Amino acid sequence: MPVRHPDPQLLEVITMKQSRIFTLMMLCPALLMVVGLFVIPLLSSVESAFAVGDRYGLDHFQKAAELYGRDILFTMGIVGLSALIIALLSITISGILTLSGNRRLVSLLSALYRWPLFIPFIVAAQCMRTFLAKNGLMNNALMSADLITPLQAVSFLDWSGIVFTFVWKQTAFATLMIAGAMAAMDKSHIQAASNLGAGRVRILFQIILPQVTGTVGVALILSIVTMLSVLSVPLMIGTGTPTMLTADMAFRISSYGDYGVANALGVISWLMVAGLAWYYLKQSMRNNTAGAHH
Amino acid sequence: MLVSTMDGRQMPARNLLARLLPGGIAGVILQGLLILVLALLIFGPLLNLILWAVAEVWYFPYKLPVTYGTKYWAQVFGPQSDAMASLSTSIIIALTTVVVCLLVSVPAGYALARRSLPARAFVMLLFLMPQAFPNLAVYINVARLFYDLGLNGTIAGVVLVHAVHGLVFSVWITVAAFSGVNEDLEKAARNLGASPLRTFFTITLPQALPGILAGCIFVFLESLDEFTGTFFVGAPDVITLPMLLYNASMEGNYQIASITALILLVPSVLFMLVVEKFMRPDTLARIGK
Amino acid sequence: MFKLKAVAGSCLAVALGLSASFASAETVLNVTTAGGQNMVDYVKEYLAPRFEKSHPGVKVRVVGTGPGDSGSNKIFEKLVAQERSGANNYDIDVAVVHQKFGGKMVNESLLSRYKDEIRTGELATRATTENALGSNVTGYVMPMFHSQTALAYNSSIIPNPPSSYDELIAFTKKHPKTFGYNGIKNGMSGVSFVTGWIYAYGSDAGKLTEGPYDPQVKDSWNKALADLKDFNKNVTFTPGNAGTLDMLNRGEIYMGPVWVDMFYTWKAQGKLPPSVKLQLIAPGMPGQPMYYVLPKRAENMKLARDFIELATSPQVQAEGIVKRFNWYPGIDAQHVKNELDAADWDKLFLEITPEDLATKGKSFPIASYFNDIKESYERKVAN
Repeated sequence: MPVRHPDPQLLEVITMKQSRIFTLMMLCPALLMVVGLFVIPLLSSVESAFAVGDRYGLDHFQKAAELYGRDILFTMGIVGLSALIIALLSITISGILTLSGNRRLVSLLSALYRWPLFIPFIVAAQCMRTFLAKNGLMNNALMSADLITPLQAVSFLDWSGIVFTFVWKQTAFATLMIAGAMAAMDKSHIQAASNLGAGRVRILFQIILPQVTGTVGVALILSIVTMLSVLSVPLMIGTGTPTMLTADMAFRISSYGDYGVANALGVISWLMVAGLAWYYLKQSMRNNTAGAHH
Repeated sequence: MLVSTMDGRQMPARNLLARLLPGGIAGVILQGLLILVLALLIFGPLLNLILWAVAEVWYFPYKLPVTYGTKYWAQVFGPQSDAMASLSTSIIIALTTVVVCLLVSVPAGYALARRSLPARAFVMLLFLMPQAFPNLAVYINVARLFYDLGLNGTIAGVVLVHAVHGLVFSVWITVAAFSGVNEDLEKAARNLGASPLRTFFTITLPQALPGILAGCIFVFLESLDEFTGTFFVGAPDVITLPMLLYNASMEGNYQIASITALILLVPSVLFMLVVEKFMRPDTLARIGK
Repeated sequence: MFKLKAVAGSCLAVALGLSASFASAETVLNVTTAGGQNMVDYVKEYLAPRFEKSHPGVKVRVVGTGPGDSGSNKIFEKLVAQERSGANNYDIDVAVVHQKFGGKMVNESLLSRYKDEIRTGELATRATTENALGSNVTGYVMPMFHSQTALAYNSSIIPNPPSSYDELIAFTKKHPKTFGYNGIKNGMSGVSFVTGWIYAYGSDAGKLTEGPYDPQVKDSWNKALADLKDFNKNVTFTPGNAGTLDMLNRGEIYMGPVWVDMFYTWKAQGKLPPSVKLQLIAPGMPGQPMYYVLPKRAENMKLARDFIELATSPQVQAEGIVKRFNWYPGIDAQHVKNELDAADWDKLFLEITPEDLATKGKSFPIASYFNDIKESYERKVAN
C-alpha cells in the first residue's frame, strides 16, 4: 500500500519512521530478556564490588589484588597462551584445508578437527582429568611406546592441563569459523599469486589471512570469553596454586560468603574481556570506514 | 560443504600442490604424520573416556583396566539412578530454551541485520555480554530475583537462564543469516505487492533458515552443557545431566562420570557431523559483523 | 510482536505445567545433603528406602550439593534467599550441613529447634551438639556421624609412615612430590591439613578452638605460613578430597590427608588397594560432625522430624553408620555399641586407636579463626 503513495519524499520519511519503530519493537523481547536477566543482576553485582559498608570504595579490589594478584596474572597468562595456540593451530588447519590439493588429506582433516566442537567443557574436563594424569592413558601410552621412561612421567594436571583442555576444545570452534571464512573468499587473488610463483606459506599469510582477520578476531574473542567463564575446567584440572579467577570467585562465595571480593574479581575478568571487545570493535569499525572510502 | 567447495576448485589447487611440494614423498609423510598426531590428540582423551566407562577395576600399575564390565552401566540405568530422569529434564530444558531463543532472536536478528540501526554495535555487544561475564555472581542475583517471582526451582526459571546465555549464538548467527539474504529479492516481492509479513515468510526466512537452524543447534548444546546457572536456579528440583556428571567426577566415580559424559556426547557428536549442512561458509564469515 | 510475546508466555506456561507435572500426587520429602557422594548414597540408598517403607505414600528426594564448605554454603544461600523473599515454605525439609554452617544457620535464625521433640534427641550429648565452632546450636542440630581427617599412606611403599608434622616435612624433603593434598579451595581434607599445620606451628589448638577471638593472633603465624609455602614446593596438588584418594589408588602419590569416612567407603568399594592405611599424626588433625538440621519453614515439618529420628536411632546408627560404612557414630557411643557385635565395633578403631582419637583428634577452630587461617593461606601461601 505505501507503494501507491503519491509523494515519494513523504513516503521516505514515513517508512523510515515506521521502520524505526518496527525495528525497536522487534528488538524489544530480546532486549528485555538481556536487561532483566543479565544487565540488572550484573549491575547489582558491580555495585556490590564497589560497595563498602554504606559508601563506595576500592577496598574489595585491594583485597582481591592482595589475595589473588598472582591468580589474575595467571588467568591472563593461561588465556593468552591458549588463545595464541588456538590461533596458530586453527589458522594452520584452515590454511591446509583451503590450500592443499590433496583431497584425501583435506577430507580426513576436516572430518577430524571438529570432533571436540560441541563436546561440553565438563565432559572435556572429565576426559582430561584421567587422560593427562601422571599414570593416565597418555603417559601410559608413551611409556608403552618407549618414548618416555616411568621416571619421566609427570602429571599435566596443572596449568598445562588447563591450556591443553582449552586448546583441545576451542581449536575446533575457531577452525570452523576461520576455515569457513577462507572458503567464502574470492579465489582469484590466490590464483594470481600462485601463478606468480608465491609459496603456500606466503599465500596464507600475505593474501588469505589479511582478508579473514575479522573472523579470526571474533573466533578468538569468543574463545577467550568462554575460557574466562568456565568453572569446571580449572576446578577439575588445575589443582595446585595458582588457579584461575573463576575458581577463586566460587571459593570466595562458597567459603566466606564474601560477595564483595567475588564481584570485584568478576569485574576484573570482565574488564579483560571488555578491553578486548573494545579493541575488536575499534578495529572492525576502522575496517568498515576503510571499506566505505573505496 | 567444505569438501564440495574444494571440489569446485580442484584444478588450480592441484597445480598449486605440484608447484609447492617438490619433495612429494616427504610431503606425504609429513601430512600423514600431522593427521596421525592430530588424531591421537583428539581421540586419545575420548578413548580414555570409553575405557573408563567399561572399566570395573582399574588401578596402578596396570596400564589398561584390570576387569571390564557393565556393572556401572547397570547402575546408571538402574532403578535407583537419577540419570534417566536427569536426561529427560535436560532435553526438555534444552528444547524449550531453543524455542524461547528462536522467538526473540528471529525478530531481533532481522532488525539488527539492517546496518542503519542506531547504536547497533552496542546492541550486538549487549547480547555477547552474558557470555562475557563470569556468570557465578550474576546467577546468584538472578536466583534471588527468581525467588521473588516464584521461578526458582522451576524448569521455566532454568530455561530463562539458559536462554539469556544462548542469545549471543542465536542473535549473532541469525543476524549473519539475515545479512546474507538478497535484498533485491525482498524489494522485488514488495514491488509485486506482497505484504511485509508475506515477504518475510516466503522470501527472507527461507534464505536465512540454514543459519537460524545452526543458531538453534548452538543454543540447544549450550543449554545441554550448562551447569552453574542450573544449580543456583534449578536445584534441588531441577537436576540436569551435567550436574550429575560433575558430582560423580569430583567424587572420583570416574565410571559413572564417564558413562554420563558419553550420554552427553551423543547429541554433541551428532550435531558436529551435521552442522555444516546448516552452516554456510558465507554465513560464518558474517558472524559478529 | 505482541503475538510473539503471547506465544512466548504460553510456552513458559507450558514449561511451568511440565515442571509441575513432574511432582506427582505423593508427598515429597526433600532431603538436601552437603558432603561427598558417599553421604548422598547413604541417604539415598540406605535411609530413604527405610523411611519410605515406614511412611507409605512418601517419597524421599535426595539432592547432594557437593563436598566442603561450598556444599553447605549452597544450602545456606538457598535458605537465605528464600527467607529474604519472604517465601512461605522453604523447599528443603531436611538438610545435612557441615559444622561451621550449622552455627551460621542458627545465628541467621534459619532453623527450627527440634532436638527436644524427637525421641532420639537425648541420645546425643557430645560437646558438638551444643557448640559448633563457637556458636551455640543447642537444640537445633543432631549429628549424623562424626568424622576425622588422617593421613592415608600406601604401606607397601612406605612401611614406616611419619607420625608427626615434623616427620612429614622431613619425609617430603627426602621424597618430593610423593605426598599430595588438595590445597584449601577444593574440599575440606586439605583445609583440615592446613589447620593441623597451624595447630602445630602457629597457635595451640586449644586457643583457636575455644576462643575468644583476637584478630592479632594471625600475625603470629607468619613463620608457619612461610614454612608451609616451602613445604608446598615438595607436594603434589590433588583435585579435591576424592582426588587425593584417587591419586593414592592410581599410584600417583603415596600419602595424603583424607576423611576417614570417605577412606572406608572407597575401601569397601574396592577403589583403594588393601595396602593403603591410615595414620593420625601429631600434634593432631581436625575432625567434625555432619549435622541434620531442619529449616525453619520446612514444608513437611512432621515428616522431617520423623526422618531425623529414624536416622539417629541406635539401630540405624549401628547398622548403617558403623557396620556398613565404618563411620564414627553421631549419637553417643554407648547407645550404638549395644546394638553391635564387639568385632564390628572394634573394626572402627583398627587403624586409629581410641587413644589416638582422644589425643590427636581436634576440632576445627572457631569460625573467625577458621576464616583467618584460610585467608592467611590465600594471602601468604597461595599468592
